[in-house]
Amino acid sequence: MNFPVWYLPTIGGGFLIALIAVTHVFVSHFAVGGGLYLVYSEKKGLREQDPGILAFTKRHAKFFLLLTMVYGSITGVGIWFIVALVNPGGISLVIHNFVFGWATEWVFFILEISAAFIYFYTFGKMDDRTHVAIGWVYFISAWISLFLITGIIDFMLTPGTWLAHHNFWRGFFNPSFVPSVFFRTFIATMLAGAYGYLTASFTKEPAVKEIMTRFSGKWTLVSLILAIPSGLWYVAVLPTHAHNLVTGQSPTIASALRWGFWGAVGIMIITLIAGIAKPSWNLKPVAVLAFICGFLIVGSFEWTREAARRPFVVNEFMYSNEILKSDVPMLQEEGFLKTARWIRNRTITPENRSAAGRELFINQCYACHTIGGFNNDIIARTRSMSYTALAKYIGKIHKVRYFMPPFAGTPKEAQALAAFIAGDLNGKDVSEPKPSNAGNNSGKMLFEENCSSCHELADLAEKTAGWEQQKIRTALDKLNQLVKEMPPYDGTFAEKDQLVAFLYSLNHKEAVQPVVPSVDGKRVFEDHCSPCHASSDLAEKTAAWDRAKIRDALDKLNQLVEEMPPMEGTKAEKEDLADYLNSLKGGQK
Amino acid sequence: MNDQFIPTPDALPVAWGWLQFLLLLTFPIHLLFMNAMLGSAGISMVQRFKGGEVNRRLAYFLAILLPLLVAFTVTFGVAPLLFVQVLYGQFFYTSSILMAAFWILIIPILILAYFGAYLYDFRFEKLGKAGGWVISIVFILFITIAYFLSNNMLLMTLPDKFSGYFQHMSGTMLASGHPTFLPRYLHMVIGAIAVGGLYTALITRLKSKSDPELAAYGEAVGMKVFNMFTIISILLGIWFLASQPKPVMMMFMGKNGLATGLFVLALILVVLMLVFSFRKKVLATTVVLTVLVYLMTFMRAFLRTGYLGKFFTLDQLKMASEYSPMVLFLVSLVAGIFVMVWMVKKAWQALTA
Repeated sequence: MNFPVWYLPTIGGGFLIALIAVTHVFVSHFAVGGGLYLVYSEKKGLREQDPGILAFTKRHAKFFLLLTMVYGSITGVGIWFIVALVNPGGISLVIHNFVFGWATEWVFFILEISAAFIYFYTFGKMDDRTHVAIGWVYFISAWISLFLITGIIDFMLTPGTWLAHHNFWRGFFNPSFVPSVFFRTFIATMLAGAYGYLTASFTKEPAVKEIMTRFSGKWTLVSLILAIPSGLWYVAVLPTHAHNLVTGQSPTIASALRWGFWGAVGIMIITLIAGIAKPSWNLKPVAVLAFICGFLIVGSFEWTREAARRPFVVNEFMYSNEILKSDVPMLQEEGFLKTARWIRNRTITPENRSAAGRELFINQCYACHTIGGFNNDIIARTRSMSYTALAKYIGKIHKVRYFMPPFAGTPKEAQALAAFIAGDLNGKDVSEPKPSNAGNNSGKMLFEENCSSCHELADLAEKTAGWEQQKIRTALDKLNQLVKEMPPYDGTFAEKDQLVAFLYSLNHKEAVQPVVPSVDGKRVFEDHCSPCHASSDLAEKTAAWDRAKIRDALDKLNQLVEEMPPMEGTKAEKEDLADYLNSLKGGQK
Repeated sequence: MNDQFIPTPDALPVAWGWLQFLLLLTFPIHLLFMNAMLGSAGISMVQRFKGGEVNRRLAYFLAILLPLLVAFTVTFGVAPLLFVQVLYGQFFYTSSILMAAFWILIIPILILAYFGAYLYDFRFEKLGKAGGWVISIVFILFITIAYFLSNNMLLMTLPDKFSGYFQHMSGTMLASGHPTFLPRYLHMVIGAIAVGGLYTALITRLKSKSDPELAAYGEAVGMKVFNMFTIISILLGIWFLASQPKPVMMMFMGKNGLATGLFVLALILVVLMLVFSFRKKVLATTVVLTVLVYLMTFMRAFLRTGYLGKFFTLDQLKMASEYSPMVLFLVSLVAGIFVMVWMVKKAWQALTA
């Protein structure tokens, strides 16, 4: 809210960060571990007086130089660029608090780059002892860079006592710092082994290829084994919410960790069999596969670390959308539009409601959601929700789904945001519901407000098929015990009863008629027909039908067209829908 | 004055003077590397196309050093970029977002240029004449990056333009239509080529024993480029000054004692530098030029305060007073310089043995 938002609705800033960051991390960790690998590889060549190993080391150093200097160092600057564009509030916070941490890292970055150049350009021209020492300067500088950056990155995940004191050292030596340094160091040496394995696969001399394949295999395997306990230690020190997300509460993290797990299994098998036991099996495709496995491990780790921080960019301090946690009560009281800086619609009127909603989306949701894009598409995520359900859901979003930030605005602003998402993006009716005897607390409405953001109606019908009402009710009372990642449902007794009745009716239409609010036909059409039919098509189809025929057809859709499911709506909904369809072709209600 | 679109800055850890000192200390080093990189790429390009034997050798010698210059230009750009974000983050982040679509392009362009520089070096012989086209592309990529950088450095000083965000939410705003942009950009690029000439004259001296013909030719070409482009750059500098808004221009014309003093001193040093350069005194020219680059950087800082003064001055920034991390940095810097000197000494011994 302090800085403008670079708005690319179908791409999203998160995607751009991921594009640069994941590949950078894969190269930058190699840049650290690879330095140590080069030193030991050269020492091995010198000790065994093997010119083949030394030639291999020089060749590997050239590949190392090209990759880490051209891609690694420039994408490192690139991460800084892209994060400053996508999350300027977050970067400003870590730059201002840790400016001398970054400046110190810069000193070691210069040493690292200088040592890399000197190491490569003096290979075979410098006395051996000094040359190895230059290699050590490179590795130590690169490792200190890792040490310094880790302190700042993990501050964002676990700020610890910095939250109370805002002190550099408390933030730097944060709770996850030490395990993270160990874990990253072993990941770095593991990747060095994987890269060495790749270079070895391109080596023509069989003897050198065998020696360096086995050497690289041992590096990878030992590093991987050491990374496992440090990784578990890392997870163990995470704060409760982050720990829960990593250990199963977040489906996306669970999926990322599965990729990482198979990457680790893959690289372990390859290095054991085609590295240590049978080095001659180190063929180029096998080495590339090991390389991909290494990429999966790193990608999985970085994804998990980033996702575990949600909904914050600096845990418990600044949300992903750059709103400070401490500002939320004020924004909910006074309103976001009145206080934010890059806003044109300061007050909401019937005319500008949708435009104001768009500004709220840009400032509060766009940090994670795209519009019709690959990453977290807001249209797909809200397709099943009506305007009223969405407006209520936004108001309690953080409570229902912890990893989303709370909505920082007034209820009226939540309605404007819902109107933009449901109306402008999903094309739904965004008029306020008509008051009815049933009110808004019918089972269907409760479902939309509380369940539909994660569950399709059909899925829940299938899940609860054969369940009695009592069983559904018992399940509603202990959702988080049934499935760990589900938040408990905190509705009143009466609301739970209504929701139970509605869910039960999905499989027992004859037994229960849940109370539903008065709905108009257009909304019923959107809910039931619009996924497959455009209104103009149905108008054409029913052009010669009278209302009675339309109404009759709604009771036997699957008889009319075999692949159509029967309509699941209530009698009242069918009547409204018949009216609506009849009106499309100019008929009377 | 409408300052609605100026974000609230974060607090500084130390007094702003320290950060300004570090910014002004490190930025000229970046400029010197950048100038050598851009200028030598241009000279190498021309020499490659000329096609004579000594021209080819000069082009190749500059090609070998070009990837190193790219690396050090980038590395020494990191520190000033860090300090400028701490001091002027509220302006810099905003202007970067306003032109985000172009600003982020710097990264892929730089990767391409850097890769091209290595390709030109490692495959110099194999590429033959095609190498001339490779280095031409690299050169064009360099001046494209300079174009975007000049844009952002100007745009960040124009908060009056920030409300244009609403017409450029996808990050497509540039400041190139501003009356001061063209002289600013040309002054920087032409000045860089001039310094690249001086660098060529200086660096080819390394070949004075092994290839005296190359050393002599490098000095002749380098100093010719330096003299010619320096004179053009002076004219552009006058245009740049004249294009400034009157209150800013007057800062250097007597209204601000320090700014005027710097300007006068710079003019004297320019004359002195030209006297040295026309007499082909390469080392003396280099010393005066280095001092001049520092002076011009200080004047540039005055220019920035001239633009931003009506919105903000550095002494308005809040301070959190946490000096111990700065001590860590200074100790690391001193230790780093020692290690660097040792490494360079060893490398020099190895390569010249």
